[in-house]
Amino acid sequence: MSKSVARQALSAAEIEQFGAEIDALRERTLADIGEADARYIRRIHATVRYTELAGRGLLFFGIFPPAWVLGTLLLALSKILENMELGHNVMHGQYDWMNDPRFDGKTYEWDIVGTSDSWRKTHNFKHHTYTNVKGMDDDIGYGLLRLFPEQRWRPFFLGQPLYAVVFALLFQWGVAIQDLRLGAYFAGRISRDELGEQFRPIGRKMRRQLLKDYVFFPLVAGPFFLPVLLGNLVANGLRNLWTFMIIFCGHFTAKVAVFPKSVLKDESRGQWYLRQLLGSSNLRGGRVFHILSGNLSHQIEHHLFPDIPARRYAALSKEIQAICQRYGLHYNTGSLWVQFGQVVWRILRYALPSKPASLEGRSLVSD
Amino acid sequence: MSVIRPIARLISPLVNPVVFDFWAAHFTPALSWERPLAKVVAREVVARDTVTLILRPNRHVRQGLPGQHVNVTAAVEGVRLTRSYSPDWSSRRRLALTIKRVPEGRMSSWLTQRCRVGDVLEIGPAFGDMTPPDPAQPWLFLAAGSGITPLISLLRHAAEQRASTAPITLLYWARTRADLCFLNELGRLHERLPGFRLHTILTREASLLPHERAGRPDAALLAELVPALDGQLAYACGPAGFVGAVREGLAGKVASFSAEAFTPPALSPVTESQPVRVTLARSGRELTIPAGMALLPALEAAGERPAYGCRMGICNTCACGKLAGSTEDLLGGGINPEPVAALRLCVSRARGDISLDL
Repeated sequence: MSKSVARQALSAAEIEQFGAEIDALRERTLADIGEADARYIRRIHATVRYTELAGRGLLFFGIFPPAWVLGTLLLALSKILENMELGHNVMHGQYDWMNDPRFDGKTYEWDIVGTSDSWRKTHNFKHHTYTNVKGMDDDIGYGLLRLFPEQRWRPFFLGQPLYAVVFALLFQWGVAIQDLRLGAYFAGRISRDELGEQFRPIGRKMRRQLLKDYVFFPLVAGPFFLPVLLGNLVANGLRNLWTFMIIFCGHFTAKVAVFPKSVLKDESRGQWYLRQLLGSSNLRGGRVFHILSGNLSHQIEHHLFPDIPARRYAALSKEIQAICQRYGLHYNTGSLWVQFGQVVWRILRYALPSKPASLEGRSLVSD
Repeated sequence: MSVIRPIARLISPLVNPVVFDFWAAHFTPALSWERPLAKVVAREVVARDTVTLILRPNRHVRQGLPGQHVNVTAAVEGVRLTRSYSPDWSSRRRLALTIKRVPEGRMSSWLTQRCRVGDVLEIGPAFGDMTPPDPAQPWLFLAAGSGITPLISLLRHAAEQRASTAPITLLYWARTRADLCFLNELGRLHERLPGFRLHTILTREASLLPHERAGRPDAALLAELVPALDGQLAYACGPAGFVGAVREGLAGKVASFSAEAFTPPALSPVTESQPVRVTLARSGRELTIPAGMALLPALEAAGERPAYGCRMGICNTCACGKLAGSTEDLLGGGINPEPVAALRLCVSRARGDISLDL
């Protein structure tokens, strides 16, 4: 008999019924999407532009500390909104139905050093299709951290509390190189030329971002070169810390599950939904907090419906919670501090050796 | 103008077109870095359910020839819709669009009822072969309903040039008198074009005036209204059924025949086993696939290799443009008869013949 990863073991038939309820919810929501969603994303785009202008404008007067602080915070806010509520959601194709080239998922380019093309591959495809499947979803520890006992311990991981801090501060650089086959290069499986070829578009994007934030705008400020440069550096850093925190809370809290590759064999849509639910965790908070997290505070709903406009997740979460209750499934949610505390605990705990846990034989279905 | 272009080229690597357009729209609504936009500057009701919009285009809009069509895009209830219309260019800086409302037509309803002065439309490049004909030969124009729009452009052009001395005959079909557009202008056209003759044919008018006719566009009516068909350069524009009837009625009798037909999108459902034709616009391939199958596996079975990822509607990797035709979203998104920028092949199936940007 196989061991179920769901706390409440569901039979195959029950899982299909669970999936059908989620499909019905999806259908109801899709039928209602329209002008209000279009107006919302246009307003988010406008807010990104206004806060960027205000932030960069204030930084030109950054010689006065209050202007520097406010300018830096506004620029960080603009970048957070652009990366999360605008860029991340647009790139999922949530607004493709508008036929608006500004919000086209396939061509949108976001304001971080990573290219949108590599994100669409590592995130939209790998992470969202193979969520929390060990060996398939590179987001499990990003090849750098051991967050689950199912990952094998190596002495390297003793340093991970330090790596995690550096990773958080430089998060956009981590995202940028996630798809680079550095491991394969160091293992000698691909040549320096092949790696260079892969790096070329990433390098171009990095250069453009660096020139913009650390050369162009500081130069425009003339004698105030340094305050502008520092403001941009801190704004990028704040954005990095915030996105790291939100994203790590999405899949690395205490009660999320990881899965063996075997669950993918003949996985039904209902089972896929169930895996998304068990592999994700939410954050409680107010409306502004949800928007600033790009609605990734509704990580569960985002994983169930990655292509539905994120502003719908708050309403969807109520219905998903009701469905979970009916099936006796755990709905993983908590405040940012509780959830992030659990993430920090994982980073500290699994830096140390632990009794290896095996995924062997684990399945989503009880019978 | 001559100064703008080199400067624009020089600074273009520094400019993000979307950001430029966002700020530019705060000052001049139709100002754009690279998109061809036009602002509505006047609106006039010209017949029942028919409105003429006067537009001022920006410098990216390329002037077309009289009789040609352009794709007009507008945001209707949050969705950008595109339809073809035949504009009348009075100058490079001014064009007129005449739109007749189609019952249930989302775009034509919006343009005739909701569009206001100050709104901005996107205007694609001009296309079409119904350009000004040889002025030395007699012209025969046949219009049904809003099919009049490319023909009125050609007539205005001829009147301005005063180039044509040969006879010009316009046969203009409409349901009732109130549906006729440009009637005053057409009535005065012979002042400037002495060879111009107009016949209005009304198919559902209760009582006809002496100069009006009734009847379908068949060979008998055409022969009666235009006694000397041979040597005529014939242009026809209207619904597909009308153009088909005219083509048949004139076959072998006129010197040349060109036509443009428009048909509202067909929503007729197809059965699952019925084959549908898929046109791949980039490669030029045409293939036949079963309608019931999702497009991605169906295209693969036909030997195509589109990009894909999850194969379950999650990752958007296989999304490509749909240029024409109806598709059904298999994940509960319903049927969409509109062209779209991103169609997920793995969770869509065709509801009739379609054209993809592949």
